[in-house]
Amino acid sequence: MTSTTTLRIATLYRFCAQSLQYPDTNWLNADYLQGLYSLLESLGADDELEQVQTAFETDPDILETLQIEHTRLFINGVPHVVAPPYGSVYVDKSLQGLHTEKTLNFYAECGYSLKHGSDLPDHIIHQLEFLSLLAENNDAEHESEFLQTIFLPWFSKFGARVKQETHHPFYSVIVQLIDYLTKEEDEHGIQLDEA
Amino acid sequence: MAFNLTRRRFLQSASLAAASIPLSKVVSAETGFVQSPLEPKGSLKEETATGGICEMCFWRCQLIGKKRDGRLIKLEGNPKSIDNGTSICARGNAGIKLLYDPDRLKYPLKNVGERGKPVWKRISWEEALAECSSKLKGVVDKYGPQGIAVFPHGSTAKYPMHFFERTVGTHNVSEASFFQCRGIRDTAYWATIGKAPGENVDMPNSKAIMLLGSHIGENVHVSHVKSFIKGLQNGSKLIVVDPRYSAAAAKSDVWVKIKPGTDTAFLLAIMNYLVKTEKYNVDFIDEWADGFDEFAEGIADWTFERAAKECNIPVEQIKEVADILAENAPNVSIHPGRHVSWYGNDFQRQRSLACLTALLGAYYVEGGWVPGIKPKVGKVSWAKHDHGNEHNLNYNEDEELRHPFTPPGTPTELIRDAALTGKPYPIKGCVIWGQNPIQTIPGQEKMKDVLRQMDFVMCVDVMPTDATMWADILLPEASYLERFDLVKTGTQWDFSEKHQQYITARMPLVEPMFERKDNVFITNAIAKGMGHEEEIPVKTVEEMVEKNLAVAGLSIAQLKKEDGIHLRDGKDPYGIPEDFEVLLYNEDIEDAGFPGVPTYMPVEPPPAGFARLLYGRVPVHTFNRTQNNAWLNFAMPENPVWINDETANKLGLKDGDTVGLVNSEGFKSHTTTTVKVTPGIRKDSVYMAHGYGSANPLLSVAVNAGVDDTSLMTKIAIDPETGAHGMRNNFVKLIKDGKVLDIPA
Ligand code: SF4
Repeated sequence: MTSTTTLRIATLYRFCAQSLQYPDTNWLNADYLQGLYSLLESLGADDELEQVQTAFETDPDILETLQIEHTRLFINGVPHVVAPPYGSVYVDKSLQGLHTEKTLNFYAECGYSLKHGSDLPDHIIHQLEFLSLLAENNDAEHESEFLQTIFLPWFSKFGARVKQETHHPFYSVIVQLIDYLTKEEDEHGIQLDEA
Repeated sequence: MAFNLTRRRFLQSASLAAASIPLSKVVSAETGFVQSPLEPKGSLKEETATGGICEMCFWRCQLIGKKRDGRLIKLEGNPKSIDNGTSICARGNAGIKLLYDPDRLKYPLKNVGERGKPVWKRISWEEALAECSSKLKGVVDKYGPQGIAVFPHGSTAKYPMHFFERTVGTHNVSEASFFQCRGIRDTAYWATIGKAPGENVDMPNSKAIMLLGSHIGENVHVSHVKSFIKGLQNGSKLIVVDPRYSAAAAKSDVWVKIKPGTDTAFLLAIMNYLVKTEKYNVDFIDEWADGFDEFAEGIADWTFERAAKECNIPVEQIKEVADILAENAPNVSIHPGRHVSWYGNDFQRQRSLACLTALLGAYYVEGGWVPGIKPKVGKVSWAKHDHGNEHNLNYNEDEELRHPFTPPGTPTELIRDAALTGKPYPIKGCVIWGQNPIQTIPGQEKMKDVLRQMDFVMCVDVMPTDATMWADILLPEASYLERFDLVKTGTQWDFSEKHQQYITARMPLVEPMFERKDNVFITNAIAKGMGHEEEIPVKTVEEMVEKNLAVAGLSIAQLKKEDGIHLRDGKDPYGIPEDFEVLLYNEDIEDAGFPGVPTYMPVEPPPAGFARLLYGRVPVHTFNRTQNNAWLNFAMPENPVWINDETANKLGLKDGDTVGLVNSEGFKSHTTTTVKVTPGIRKDSVYMAHGYGSANPLLSVAVNAGVDDTSLMTKIAIDPETGAHGMRNNFVKLIKDGKVLDIPA
């Protein structure tokens, strides 16, 4: 792939990571929405585009709605947190399990460490940011290895839970975007395993 | 998603180019990463962290943590410890599962739904603290400081509790460890020997041990269990008084299968016998005790026969126990018990234990009740102020104490009644800190009503609990493995060994994850917001620890150098202090309208068809605190209900059958558990472990696991002298396959 393409892929990973941050007007603004809408448009995801657009345009306090939904999905929701965003929870049924260690090792082997005070290493946002750094570096080999061994094994469960249980089209669309971006394809360009 | 393009084609298409231009404007250039040198595989750094103090229960064993690249992978006892040594119990080991429990609280949350049926929204600390301060200040402005009630528990709750009590000025503070656990023990001994007894029995050097109100072995406290076992190894005779064949009873020489609620009658008969036969320690009583004549007269009617009938045990057994105690006196450990809030007649029972110890002359002698001599450290907290008694609910209209022998704080029931009636004043703000008042206090529905009528409820905890569902603002606290807090002191547990003292401070083994904060940070911010900035005693929790250590000439740095524990020479703890005095008859108690001599007060027997609900502990859990812990849940996922084998036979119940429970007031357990059929329990009682059956679905492991025994405590019984709850006065039947089973007489 050309470096321009990989840079664009990097941007996509980064965009997905951005979208899973706690909703805040710092980033959840008109520019962000413009980006999201045009991405969905380019993908021909017309239904999703309409759902997200309607949700954003008809909700008088979209920020609070998304904050509540983000809290319910990823932090603390009743009756339970829908989808903790940490790989280790799915792989090891714990925070900071071996999966976290493997993730951290992977970062270190590629010459990266986390800033002090960052969230746990296996947080989906970090993993997506890391993929974006690999794409930026045009390091397809590590990108693919990271996807296969670290990211995809848990993301499939995480993504399915979000998609199934979210009350808001925004998060459903974002996990589908991530799925689309990270899913393996066979040699004819057909995605295996529709999410 | 109906994406029209395959990923590969899209990524190489012009569409991506078109889409990624607006995206690049949006995404942040910042990531959580920095570049670092390339590391070969498997090069994570391993290290050992010292200075941990366990809090899976409140015994506070000293720990070290094995870490790999900041991740705690194993906890062990600190080899330097002269207390627990290298041993820690199952719960201590499972501390890492609490640390990394995915269900733990991580960020401040605001309830934007209904209280009790929360809809959570993550908010910033700034917003959370501003809201807590302004709401609590609002309550104080409108209703006065007494408008706030505080339910604290645990080592980190002291600092905020003192803030609300001493600085803000509310008396309405009720600690579960006092009013639903051991407070009665402490005040009864205070009224007898002028000291809280702790569990200071010198079991390793005893010739006989009597447990009445202690579940050693089920209530695992490492050094305490060690001292108990050492006593048995050394040949100490063991008497266990319990309606149930407990773990300790299984090691006993005499198991007294006593009828619940009658323990005081049993103790009075023993004491009367010792007095009448002059088998008591005459010299000790002459020298150290007061009120012997009144005492002797007050208990004179308690013959073995009368007690045997009342307690439903053989006469010979009472005599056997009395003789064992007398023969081995003074080297006898009469255990003061723990979690002794049973029947609402508990103060008199605890007084009896203290008096029996005196008759045996078993204070400050080998094998008796002996407090170790600990080093002195500081106790920095909020400055004390006198807030008068005008708003102290424990004072009646005539300015007399309602419960004169109450532990520190205000009896919980007085606070709840005031909150519900608005009399003598409204209570509209509530702070719950490390306590779970839904599962610690009998009368769950009443507690919910109390919380419902509040203007504002703030909760601070490590985990979600049944109570945190009732918070308006829920704050995540750093766990005991992630924070500094107390300074702990003590001595070696076996006084026959070289006398030593230790000083240690809880230090974090790992940094707090997410946005968890410590008690000093949270309390200070609220204090500032409520206008009490000037009175803040320390800026940080480290500063508090440093100041407390400085009194002993130590510092955090020094403790770290000494692997977390400072050891020094100790002092011989035997020998009675000159000012020691035992009040066998206490005039003040009598003046307050209660019996000045230990007196038996009968409790209501189970109605026909019902059994008394008893509860206790299991070695692998600390009540509800550990229920969500994956390892401990695996070890004991539910709390089987013990039922007498003959009774079970009559009811057609088998071991492992699934049952629910219904109490005599018609309240049904919302979950079920299994049956444990055993000859080791009386026919008039059933027994289960306390603290199961959480109702909070956020506890993904603990929710609905087993039966919540507290939910079946709908009858409120209050100990008149202390105002503490009696928690074994409820009667139940079992329900199997929808059919309610009458318990045969
Ligand atoms: S007894 Fe067990 S749970 Fe309690 S402090 Fe010691 S190790 Fe921890």
